[in-house]
Amino acid sequence: MQKLAAADVPELHGTGAPPAAPPVRLGPVLARPYLWPYDGPVEIPRVALLCIDWQTDFCGPGGYVEAMGYDIGLTRAGLPATARLLEHVRALGMLVIHTREGHPPDLSDLPANKRWRSAQIGAEIGSPGPCGRILVHGEPGWQIVPEVAPAPGEVVIDKPGKGAFYATNLDLVLRTHGITHLILTGITTDVCVHTTMREANDRGYECLILSDCTGATDPANHAAALHMVTMQGGVFGCVSTSTEVIAASTAEVIAAGTAERP
Amino acid sequence: MTAVPVDAHPYPYTFDPSRTALLVIDMQRDFLEPGGFGESLGNDVSLLRRTIGPLRAVLTACRAAGLAVIHTREGHQPDLSDCPPSKLRRGRPSRRIGDLGPKGRILVRGEEGHDIIDELAPQPGEPVVDKPGKGAFYATGLDGLLDVRGVESLIVTGVTTEVCVHTTVREANDRGYECLVLRDCVGSYFPEFQRSALDMISAQGGIFGWVAASGDFLDALRTTGTVAPHPTPASH
Repeated sequence: MQKLAAADVPELHGTGAPPAAPPVRLGPVLARPYLWPYDGPVEIPRVALLCIDWQTDFCGPGGYVEAMGYDIGLTRAGLPATARLLEHVRALGMLVIHTREGHPPDLSDLPANKRWRSAQIGAEIGSPGPCGRILVHGEPGWQIVPEVAPAPGEVVIDKPGKGAFYATNLDLVLRTHGITHLILTGITTDVCVHTTMREANDRGYECLILSDCTGATDPANHAAALHMVTMQGGVFGCVSTSTEVIAASTAEVIAAGTAERP
Repeated sequence: MTAVPVDAHPYPYTFDPSRTALLVIDMQRDFLEPGGFGESLGNDVSLLRRTIGPLRAVLTACRAAGLAVIHTREGHQPDLSDCPPSKLRRGRPSRRIGDLGPKGRILVRGEEGHDIIDELAPQPGEPVVDKPGKGAFYATGLDGLLDVRGVESLIVTGVTTEVCVHTTVREANDRGYECLVLRDCVGSYFPEFQRSALDMISAQGGIFGWVAASGDFLDALRTTGTVAPHPTPASH
Protein backbone atom coordinates (compact mmCIF):
# COMPACT_ATOMS: atom_id res chain seq x y z
CA MET A 1 0.00 0.00 0.00
CA GLN A 2 1.27 3.43 -0.87
CA LYS A 3 -0.83 5.22 1.72
CA LEU A 4 1.89 6.78 3.87
CA ALA A 5 1.68 7.80 7.47
CA ALA A 6 4.42 10.05 8.86
CA ALA A 7 5.61 7.24 11.14
CA ASP A 8 6.24 4.96 8.16
CA VAL A 9 8.73 7.27 6.47
CA PRO A 10 12.35 6.33 7.04
CA GLU A 11 14.75 8.99 8.29
CA LEU A 12 16.59 10.09 5.18
CA HIS A 13 18.77 12.76 6.73
CA GLY A 14 20.15 11.12 9.82
CA THR A 15 19.09 12.90 12.97
CA GLY A 16 16.11 15.15 13.57
CA ALA A 17 12.47 14.83 12.61
CA PRO A 18 11.74 12.76 9.54
CA PRO A 19 10.68 14.78 6.50
CA ALA A 20 6.97 14.72 5.83
CA ALA A 21 5.93 12.28 3.12
CA PRO A 22 4.94 14.00 -0.11
CA PRO A 23 1.16 13.84 -0.33
CA VAL A 24 0.05 11.47 -3.07
CA ARG A 25 -2.17 13.56 -5.28
CA LEU A 26 -4.35 13.27 -8.37
CA GLY A 27 -4.59 15.97 -10.98
CA PRO A 28 -4.82 18.05 -12.90
CA VAL A 29 -6.58 15.52 -15.12
CA LEU A 30 -7.00 16.48 -18.76
CA ALA A 31 -10.80 16.58 -19.01
CA ARG A 32 -13.72 18.41 -20.60
CA PRO A 33 -14.75 21.15 -20.06
CA TYR A 34 -12.00 22.03 -17.57
CA LEU A 35 -8.85 20.58 -15.99
CA TRP A 36 -10.26 18.35 -13.25
CA PRO A 37 -10.72 18.95 -10.42
CA TYR A 38 -11.79 22.59 -10.30
CA ASP A 39 -9.83 23.20 -7.09
CA GLY A 40 -6.47 21.85 -8.23
CA PRO A 41 -4.69 18.56 -7.52
CA VAL A 42 -6.47 16.62 -4.81
CA GLU A 43 -4.93 14.30 -2.21
CA ILE A 44 -5.79 10.67 -2.88
CA PRO A 45 -7.49 10.13 0.52
CA ARG A 46 -10.16 12.66 -0.55
CA VAL A 47 -11.01 10.77 -3.77
CA ALA A 48 -13.18 7.68 -4.22
CA LEU A 49 -13.59 5.50 -7.28
CA LEU A 50 -17.22 4.45 -7.79
CA CYS A 51 -17.86 1.22 -9.70
CA ILE A 52 -21.55 1.32 -10.47
CA ASP A 53 -23.63 -1.81 -11.11
CA TRP A 54 -21.08 -3.97 -12.93
CA GLN A 55 -23.51 -6.84 -12.39
CA THR A 56 -24.16 -9.95 -14.43
CA ASP A 57 -27.78 -8.81 -14.77
CA PHE A 58 -26.53 -5.78 -16.72
CA CYS A 59 -23.39 -6.98 -18.51
CA GLY A 60 -23.14 -10.75 -18.15
CA PRO A 61 -24.49 -13.55 -20.32
CA GLY A 62 -28.07 -14.44 -19.43
CA GLY A 63 -28.54 -11.35 -17.27
CA TYR A 64 -31.44 -8.90 -17.11
CA VAL A 65 -30.21 -6.62 -19.89
CA GLU A 66 -29.51 -9.48 -22.27
CA ALA A 67 -32.97 -10.88 -21.45
CA MET A 68 -34.40 -7.56 -22.64
CA GLY A 69 -32.79 -8.18 -26.03
CA TYR A 70 -29.87 -5.73 -25.83
CA ASP A 71 -26.29 -6.34 -27.01
CA ILE A 72 -24.22 -6.79 -23.83
CA GLY A 73 -21.08 -6.02 -25.85
CA LEU A 74 -22.07 -2.39 -25.36
CA THR A 75 -22.38 -2.63 -21.57
CA ARG A 76 -19.19 -4.73 -21.32
CA ALA A 77 -17.12 -2.25 -23.36
CA GLY A 78 -15.82 -0.43 -20.28
CA LEU A 79 -14.73 -3.53 -18.33
CA PRO A 80 -11.05 -3.80 -19.46
CA ALA A 81 -10.32 -0.12 -18.82
CA THR A 82 -12.10 -0.22 -15.46
CA ALA A 83 -10.11 -3.31 -14.43
CA ARG A 84 -6.84 -1.52 -15.30
CA LEU A 85 -7.91 1.59 -13.42
CA LEU A 86 -8.93 -0.45 -10.37
CA GLU A 87 -5.47 -2.00 -10.23
CA HIS A 88 -3.90 1.46 -10.44
CA VAL A 89 -6.03 3.16 -7.77
CA ARG A 90 -5.77 0.21 -5.38
CA ALA A 91 -1.97 0.67 -5.53
CA LEU A 92 -2.51 4.35 -4.70
CA GLY A 93 -4.65 3.44 -1.70
CA MET A 94 -7.71 5.18 -3.11
CA LEU A 95 -11.10 4.32 -1.61
CA VAL A 96 -13.04 2.01 -3.95
CA ILE A 97 -16.80 1.67 -3.64
CA HIS A 98 -18.96 -0.74 -5.62
CA THR A 99 -22.72 -0.53 -6.04
CA ARG A 100 -25.33 -3.11 -6.95
CA GLU A 101 -28.93 -2.48 -7.97
CA GLY A 102 -31.34 -5.02 -6.60
CA HIS A 103 -34.11 -5.94 -4.21
CA PRO A 104 -34.52 -8.40 -1.33
CA PRO A 105 -36.20 -11.73 -2.14
CA ASP A 106 -39.57 -10.47 -0.82
CA LEU A 107 -39.30 -7.44 -3.17
CA SER A 108 -40.43 -5.25 -0.29
CA ASP A 109 -38.52 -2.19 -1.58
CA LEU A 110 -39.52 -2.63 -5.24
CA PRO A 111 -41.84 0.19 -6.35
CA ALA A 112 -44.94 -1.16 -8.08
CA ASN A 113 -44.32 0.89 -11.22
CA LYS A 114 -40.73 -0.37 -11.56
CA ARG A 115 -41.95 -3.97 -11.34
CA TRP A 116 -44.81 -3.35 -13.78
CA ARG A 117 -42.58 -1.69 -16.35
CA SER A 118 -39.98 -4.45 -16.21
CA ALA A 119 -42.79 -6.96 -16.79
CA GLN A 120 -44.00 -4.96 -19.81
CA ILE A 121 -40.68 -5.59 -21.55
CA GLY A 122 -40.50 -9.28 -20.65
CA ALA A 123 -37.93 -9.17 -17.83
CA GLU A 124 -39.98 -8.77 -14.67
CA ILE A 125 -37.85 -8.05 -11.60
CA GLY A 126 -38.10 -11.01 -9.22
CA SER A 127 -39.08 -13.47 -11.94
CA PRO A 128 -36.85 -16.44 -12.77
CA GLY A 129 -34.19 -15.71 -15.39
CA PRO A 130 -31.21 -17.63 -16.72
CA CYS A 131 -29.09 -16.31 -13.81
CA GLY A 132 -31.61 -16.71 -11.01
CA ARG A 133 -34.36 -14.28 -10.05
CA ILE A 134 -33.83 -11.03 -11.92
CA LEU A 135 -32.27 -8.24 -9.79
CA VAL A 136 -32.78 -10.10 -6.52
CA HIS A 137 -30.16 -9.99 -3.75
CA GLY A 138 -28.00 -13.10 -3.57
CA GLU A 139 -28.83 -14.43 -7.04
CA PRO A 140 -26.01 -15.13 -9.53
CA GLY A 141 -27.25 -12.43 -11.93
CA TRP A 142 -27.09 -9.81 -9.19
CA GLN A 143 -23.39 -10.45 -8.46
CA ILE A 144 -20.62 -8.20 -9.74
CA VAL A 145 -18.79 -9.71 -12.74
CA PRO A 146 -15.34 -11.22 -11.96
CA GLU A 147 -13.36 -8.71 -14.09
CA VAL A 148 -14.07 -5.90 -11.59
CA ALA A 149 -15.06 -7.89 -8.50
CA PRO A 150 -14.65 -6.10 -5.15
CA ALA A 151 -11.40 -6.79 -3.32
CA PRO A 152 -11.62 -7.83 0.33
CA GLY A 153 -12.48 -4.80 2.46
CA GLU A 154 -13.93 -2.68 -0.34
CA VAL A 155 -17.31 -1.14 0.34
CA VAL A 156 -20.32 -2.53 -1.56
CA ILE A 157 -23.52 -0.46 -1.54
CA ASP A 158 -26.85 -2.12 -2.36
CA LYS A 159 -29.36 0.27 -3.87
CA PRO A 160 -33.02 -0.16 -4.79
CA GLY A 161 -33.05 2.61 -7.39
CA LYS A 162 -30.99 4.01 -10.23
CA GLY A 163 -29.27 6.57 -8.01
CA ALA A 164 -26.70 5.27 -5.50
CA PHE A 165 -27.57 7.95 -2.92
CA TYR A 166 -31.31 7.42 -2.53
CA ALA A 167 -32.22 4.98 0.27
CA THR A 168 -28.57 3.97 0.87
CA ASN A 169 -25.76 4.95 3.25
CA LEU A 170 -23.40 6.03 0.44
CA ASP A 171 -23.35 9.69 1.52
CA LEU A 172 -22.52 8.68 5.10
CA VAL A 173 -19.73 6.36 3.93
CA LEU A 174 -18.20 9.08 1.77
CA ARG A 175 -18.37 11.75 4.48
CA THR A 176 -17.00 9.35 7.08
CA HIS A 177 -13.97 8.78 4.84
CA GLY A 178 -13.54 12.51 4.15
CA ILE A 179 -14.25 12.08 0.45
CA THR A 180 -14.88 15.25 -1.56
CA HIS A 181 -14.10 14.07 -5.10
CA LEU A 182 -15.60 11.16 -7.04
CA ILE A 183 -14.50 9.26 -10.15
CA LEU A 184 -17.41 7.42 -11.75
CA THR A 185 -17.29 4.19 -13.73
CA GLY A 186 -19.99 1.66 -14.46
CA ILE A 187 -23.19 1.00 -16.30
CA THR A 188 -25.30 2.24 -17.77
CA THR A 189 -23.98 5.69 -18.59
CA ASP A 190 -27.34 7.38 -19.10
CA VAL A 191 -29.26 5.57 -16.34
CA CYS A 192 -27.54 4.56 -13.10
CA VAL A 193 -24.22 6.36 -13.63
CA HIS A 194 -25.87 9.65 -14.64
CA THR A 195 -28.47 9.51 -11.87
CA THR A 196 -25.72 8.92 -9.31
CA MET A 197 -23.54 11.70 -10.77
CA ARG A 198 -26.48 14.14 -10.57
CA GLU A 199 -27.16 13.15 -6.94
CA ALA A 200 -23.47 13.51 -6.07
CA ASN A 201 -23.22 16.89 -7.79
CA ASP A 202 -26.20 18.28 -5.85
CA ARG A 203 -24.49 17.09 -2.66
CA GLY A 204 -21.34 19.08 -3.51
CA TYR A 205 -19.03 16.26 -4.61
CA GLU A 206 -16.66 17.18 -7.46
CA CYS A 207 -17.32 14.51 -10.08
CA LEU A 208 -15.38 13.02 -12.99
CA ILE A 209 -17.03 10.49 -15.32
CA LEU A 210 -14.82 8.28 -17.51
CA SER A 211 -15.95 7.69 -21.09
CA ASP A 212 -13.93 4.48 -21.50
CA CYS A 213 -15.13 3.00 -18.19
CA THR A 214 -18.86 3.40 -18.84
CA GLY A 215 -21.34 2.08 -21.39
CA ALA A 216 -25.01 2.03 -22.33
CA THR A 217 -27.48 -0.20 -24.10
CA ASP A 218 -27.81 2.54 -26.72
CA PRO A 219 -24.58 4.15 -28.02
CA ALA A 220 -26.42 7.41 -28.76
CA ASN A 221 -27.56 7.67 -25.16
CA HIS A 222 -23.99 6.99 -23.97
CA ALA A 223 -22.67 9.84 -26.12
CA ALA A 224 -25.48 12.23 -25.21
CA ALA A 225 -25.11 11.54 -21.49
CA LEU A 226 -21.38 12.33 -21.61
CA HIS A 227 -21.95 15.45 -23.69
CA MET A 228 -24.57 16.75 -21.25
CA VAL A 229 -22.01 16.71 -18.44
CA THR A 230 -19.72 19.10 -20.29
CA MET A 231 -22.27 21.82 -21.02
CA GLN A 232 -22.64 25.10 -19.15
CA GLY A 233 -19.11 25.01 -17.82
CA GLY A 234 -19.52 21.46 -16.52
CA VAL A 235 -23.02 21.42 -15.11
CA PHE A 236 -22.48 18.03 -13.40
CA GLY A 237 -18.65 17.92 -13.44
CA CYS A 238 -16.19 16.69 -16.07
CA VAL A 239 -15.60 13.91 -18.61
CA SER A 240 -12.23 12.19 -19.12
CA THR A 241 -10.71 8.72 -19.61
CA SER A 242 -8.94 6.20 -17.39
CA THR A 243 -5.75 6.84 -19.36
CA GLU A 244 -5.79 10.50 -18.29
CA VAL A 245 -6.51 9.62 -14.66
CA ILE A 246 -3.63 7.17 -14.62
CA ALA A 247 -1.33 9.70 -16.30
CA ALA A 248 -2.30 12.38 -13.79
CA SER A 249 -1.39 10.20 -10.84
CA THR A 250 1.47 8.00 -12.09
CA ALA A 251 4.17 10.59 -11.36
CA GLU A 252 2.88 10.72 -7.82
CA VAL A 253 3.06 6.92 -7.55
CA ILE A 254 6.71 7.03 -8.57
CA ALA A 255 7.42 9.86 -6.14
CA ALA A 256 5.75 7.96 -3.33
CA GLY A 257 7.69 4.83 -4.22
CA THR A 258 10.96 6.77 -4.15
CA ALA A 259 10.15 8.23 -0.77
CA GLU A 260 9.63 4.75 0.64
CA ARG A 261 12.93 3.45 -0.72
CA PRO A 262 15.85 3.81 1.72
CA MET B 1 -61.33 7.75 -9.03
CA THR B 2 -61.14 7.66 -12.79
CA ALA B 3 -58.01 6.30 -14.38
CA VAL B 4 -57.53 8.45 -17.45
CA PRO B 5 -55.28 7.10 -20.23
CA VAL B 6 -52.98 9.55 -22.03
CA ASP B 7 -51.54 8.76 -25.46
CA ALA B 8 -47.85 8.65 -24.48
CA HIS B 9 -44.45 7.05 -25.18
CA PRO B 10 -43.49 4.28 -24.73
CA TYR B 11 -47.12 3.32 -24.02
CA PRO B 12 -50.31 4.91 -22.65
CA TYR B 13 -50.00 6.64 -19.28
CA THR B 14 -52.83 6.22 -16.80
CA PHE B 15 -53.33 8.47 -13.82
CA ASP B 16 -55.84 9.18 -11.11
CA PRO B 17 -56.37 12.97 -11.07
CA SER B 18 -56.99 12.96 -7.32
CA ARG B 19 -53.53 11.43 -6.81
CA THR B 20 -51.67 13.50 -9.39
CA ALA B 21 -49.69 16.73 -9.09
CA LEU B 22 -48.49 19.16 -11.73
CA LEU B 23 -44.82 19.94 -11.11
CA VAL B 24 -43.58 23.22 -12.63
CA ILE B 25 -39.79 23.23 -12.41
CA ASP B 26 -37.64 26.38 -12.25
CA MET B 27 -39.63 28.67 -14.56
CA GLN B 28 -37.55 31.54 -13.13
CA ARG B 29 -36.57 34.87 -14.58
CA ASP B 30 -32.87 33.98 -14.20
CA PHE B 31 -33.36 31.13 -16.69
CA LEU B 32 -36.06 32.49 -19.00
CA GLU B 33 -35.69 36.24 -19.30
CA PRO B 34 -33.11 38.32 -21.13
CA GLY B 35 -30.45 39.46 -18.68
CA GLY B 36 -30.83 36.47 -16.38
CA PHE B 37 -28.24 33.92 -15.31
CA GLY B 38 -28.99 31.59 -18.25
CA GLU B 39 -28.36 34.28 -20.82
CA SER B 40 -25.18 35.38 -19.02
CA LEU B 41 -23.81 31.88 -19.74
CA GLY B 42 -24.32 32.54 -23.45
CA ASN B 43 -27.65 30.74 -23.89
CA ASP B 44 -30.56 31.64 -26.18
CA VAL B 45 -33.50 32.08 -23.81
CA SER B 46 -36.05 32.00 -26.65
CA LEU B 47 -35.57 28.23 -26.74
CA LEU B 48 -36.99 28.06 -23.22
CA ARG B 49 -39.68 30.68 -23.72
CA ARG B 50 -41.44 28.38 -26.22
CA THR B 51 -42.70 26.40 -23.24
CA ILE B 52 -44.55 29.31 -21.64
CA GLY B 53 -47.67 29.19 -23.87
CA PRO B 54 -48.33 25.43 -23.61
CA LEU B 55 -47.47 25.45 -19.92
CA ARG B 56 -49.97 28.25 -19.22
CA ALA B 57 -52.70 26.15 -20.86
CA VAL B 58 -51.72 23.10 -18.79
CA LEU B 59 -51.54 25.14 -15.58
CA THR B 60 -54.99 26.62 -16.19
CA ALA B 61 -56.52 23.21 -16.94
CA CYS B 62 -54.90 21.54 -13.93
CA ARG B 63 -56.10 24.29 -11.61
CA ALA B 64 -59.63 24.01 -13.06
CA ALA B 65 -59.57 20.22 -12.64
CA GLY B 66 -58.38 20.51 -9.04
CA LEU B 67 -54.97 18.85 -9.45
CA ALA B 68 -52.29 19.72 -6.93
CA VAL B 69 -49.87 22.27 -8.40
CA ILE B 70 -46.32 22.59 -7.07
CA HIS B 71 -43.65 25.01 -8.29
CA THR B 72 -39.90 24.80 -7.74
CA ARG B 73 -37.10 27.38 -7.81
CA GLU B 74 -33.35 26.79 -7.86
CA GLY B 75 -31.45 29.20 -5.66
CA HIS B 76 -29.42 29.83 -2.56
CA GLN B 77 -29.47 31.72 0.71
CA PRO B 78 -28.03 35.24 0.48
CA ASP B 79 -24.88 34.12 2.36
CA LEU B 80 -24.51 31.19 -0.13
CA SER B 81 -24.16 28.83 2.83
CA ASP B 82 -26.11 26.17 0.94
CA CYS B 83 -24.10 26.48 -2.29
CA PRO B 84 -21.38 23.82 -2.59
CA PRO B 85 -17.95 25.26 -3.51
CA SER B 86 -17.83 22.99 -6.55
CA LYS B 87 -21.04 24.58 -7.88
CA LEU B 88 -19.92 28.12 -7.11
CA ARG B 89 -16.41 27.96 -8.50
CA ARG B 90 -16.22 25.46 -11.31
CA GLY B 91 -16.22 26.31 -15.00
CA ARG B 92 -15.21 29.96 -14.53
CA PRO B 93 -18.43 31.55 -15.87
CA SER B 94 -18.44 35.24 -16.61
CA ARG B 95 -20.84 35.66 -13.71
CA ARG B 96 -21.07 33.48 -10.66
CA ILE B 97 -23.95 32.60 -8.37
CA GLY B 98 -24.34 35.46 -5.91
CA ASP B 99 -22.83 38.07 -8.26
CA LEU B 100 -24.93 41.11 -9.07
CA GLY B 101 -26.78 40.74 -12.37
CA PRO B 102 -29.40 42.86 -14.12
CA LYS B 103 -32.12 41.15 -12.09
CA GLY B 104 -30.41 41.23 -8.71
CA ARG B 105 -27.95 38.73 -7.29
CA ILE B 106 -27.85 35.64 -9.49
CA LEU B 107 -29.76 32.61 -8.15
CA VAL B 108 -30.17 34.17 -4.72
CA ARG B 109 -33.49 33.77 -2.92
CA GLY B 110 -35.54 36.92 -2.68
CA GLU B 111 -33.97 38.54 -5.74
CA GLU B 112 -36.07 39.47 -8.77
CA GLY B 113 -34.24 37.07 -11.08
CA HIS B 114 -34.79 34.15 -8.73
CA ASP B 115 -38.56 34.45 -8.81
CA ILE B 116 -40.98 32.70 -11.15
CA ILE B 117 -41.96 34.54 -14.35
CA ASP B 118 -45.21 36.54 -14.17
CA GLU B 119 -46.91 34.38 -16.82
CA LEU B 120 -46.77 31.34 -14.52
CA ALA B 121 -46.92 33.01 -11.12
CA PRO B 122 -48.01 30.62 -8.34
CA GLN B 123 -51.48 31.14 -6.93
CA PRO B 124 -52.12 31.36 -3.20
CA GLY B 125 -52.04 27.86 -1.74
CA GLU B 126 -49.71 26.42 -4.36
CA PRO B 127 -46.48 25.31 -2.69
CA VAL B 128 -43.20 26.74 -3.97
CA VAL B 129 -40.24 24.47 -3.24
CA ASP B 130 -36.87 26.20 -3.01
CA LYS B 131 -34.05 23.83 -3.89
CA PRO B 132 -30.26 24.28 -3.73
CA GLY B 133 -29.50 21.65 -6.39
CA LYS B 134 -30.72 20.46 -9.75
CA GLY B 135 -32.99 17.81 -8.27
CA ALA B 136 -36.17 18.96 -6.50
CA PHE B 137 -36.05 16.16 -3.90
CA TYR B 138 -32.56 16.63 -2.43
CA ALA B 139 -32.50 18.94 0.61
CA THR B 140 -36.15 19.99 0.18
CA GLY B 141 -39.55 19.07 1.59
CA LEU B 142 -41.00 17.99 -1.75
CA ASP B 143 -41.36 14.31 -0.86
CA GLY B 144 -43.33 15.28 2.26
CA LEU B 145 -45.54 17.72 0.34
CA LEU B 146 -46.45 14.97 -2.12
CA ASP B 147 -46.98 12.39 0.60
CA VAL B 148 -49.38 14.56 2.62
CA ARG B 149 -51.43 15.14 -0.54
CA GLY B 150 -51.52 11.44 -1.40
CA VAL B 151 -49.77 12.08 -4.71
CA GLU B 152 -48.56 9.04 -6.69
CA SER B 153 -48.26 10.52 -10.19
CA LEU B 154 -46.43 13.60 -11.43
CA ILE B 155 -47.03 15.65 -14.56
CA VAL B 156 -43.60 17.17 -15.09
CA THR B 157 -42.95 20.50 -16.80
CA GLY B 158 -40.32 23.25 -16.69
CA VAL B 159 -36.66 23.90 -17.50
CA THR B 160 -34.16 22.77 -18.42
CA THR B 161 -35.04 19.36 -19.82
CA GLU B 162 -31.68 17.63 -19.43
CA VAL B 163 -30.62 19.30 -16.18
CA CYS B 164 -33.23 20.08 -13.52
CA VAL B 165 -36.19 18.31 -15.15
CA HIS B 166 -34.18 15.13 -15.76
CA THR B 167 -32.56 15.09 -12.32
CA THR B 168 -35.96 15.55 -10.66
CA VAL B 169 -37.61 12.83 -12.78
CA ARG B 170 -34.78 10.44 -11.88
CA GLU B 171 -35.23 11.21 -8.17
CA ALA B 172 -39.02 10.85 -8.44
CA ASN B 173 -38.75 7.57 -10.32
CA ASP B 174 -36.48 6.01 -7.68
CA ARG B 175 -39.06 7.07 -5.08
CA GLY B 176 -41.84 5.23 -6.96
CA TYR B 177 -43.69 8.21 -8.50
CA GLU B 178 -45.16 7.74 -11.99
CA CYS B 179 -43.81 10.59 -14.11
CA LEU B 180 -45.29 11.93 -17.33
CA VAL B 181 -43.07 14.54 -18.99
CA LEU B 182 -44.88 16.94 -21.33
CA ARG B 183 -42.53 17.40 -24.28
CA ASP B 184 -43.72 20.88 -25.30
CA CYS B 185 -43.77 22.10 -21.69
CA VAL B 186 -40.11 21.30 -21.03
CA GLY B 187 -37.29 23.25 -22.66
CA SER B 188 -33.55 23.16 -23.19
CA TYR B 189 -31.01 25.69 -24.44
CA PHE B 190 -29.71 22.86 -26.65
CA PRO B 191 -32.13 21.27 -29.17
CA GLU B 192 -30.05 18.06 -29.37
CA PHE B 193 -30.32 17.60 -25.60
CA GLN B 194 -34.06 18.24 -25.69
CA ARG B 195 -34.34 15.26 -28.04
CA SER B 196 -31.87 12.94 -26.33
CA ALA B 197 -33.16 13.71 -22.83
CA LEU B 198 -36.74 12.90 -23.83
CA ASP B 199 -35.54 9.72 -25.58
CA MET B 200 -33.73 8.61 -22.41
CA ILE B 201 -36.89 8.90 -20.31
CA SER B 202 -38.92 6.52 -22.45
CA ALA B 203 -36.04 4.16 -23.33
CA GLN B 204 -35.97 0.53 -22.11
CA GLY B 205 -39.73 0.36 -21.70
CA GLY B 206 -39.96 3.72 -19.93
CA ILE B 207 -37.04 3.42 -17.57
CA PHE B 208 -37.74 6.83 -16.00
CA GLY B 209 -41.35 7.37 -17.10
CA TRP B 210 -43.49 8.52 -19.99
CA VAL B 211 -43.41 11.35 -22.53
CA ALA B 212 -46.46 12.97 -24.17
CA ALA B 213 -47.55 16.18 -25.88
CA SER B 214 -49.50 18.56 -23.65
CA GLY B 215 -52.47 18.37 -26.05
CA ASP B 216 -52.81 14.64 -25.44
CA PHE B 217 -52.61 15.17 -21.70
CA LEU B 218 -55.27 17.91 -21.86
CA ASP B 219 -57.54 15.66 -23.95
CA ALA B 220 -57.32 13.00 -21.25
CA LEU B 221 -57.85 15.50 -18.46
CA ARG B 222 -61.03 16.79 -20.14
CA THR B 223 -62.62 13.34 -19.91
CA THR B 224 -62.62 13.51 -16.14
CA GLY B 225 -64.61 15.81 -13.89
CA THR B 226 -63.18 18.18 -11.34
CA VAL B 227 -61.58 16.26 -8.53
CA ALA B 228 -62.43 16.86 -4.90
CA PRO B 229 -60.24 19.44 -3.17
CA HIS B 230 -57.06 17.93 -1.77
CA PRO B 231 -56.79 17.58 1.98
CA THR B 232 -53.98 20.10 2.10
CA PRO B 233 -52.82 21.34 5.47
CA ALA B 234 -54.06 24.82 6.38
CA SER B 235 -50.48 26.07 6.61
CA HIS B 236 -50.06 25.76 2.84
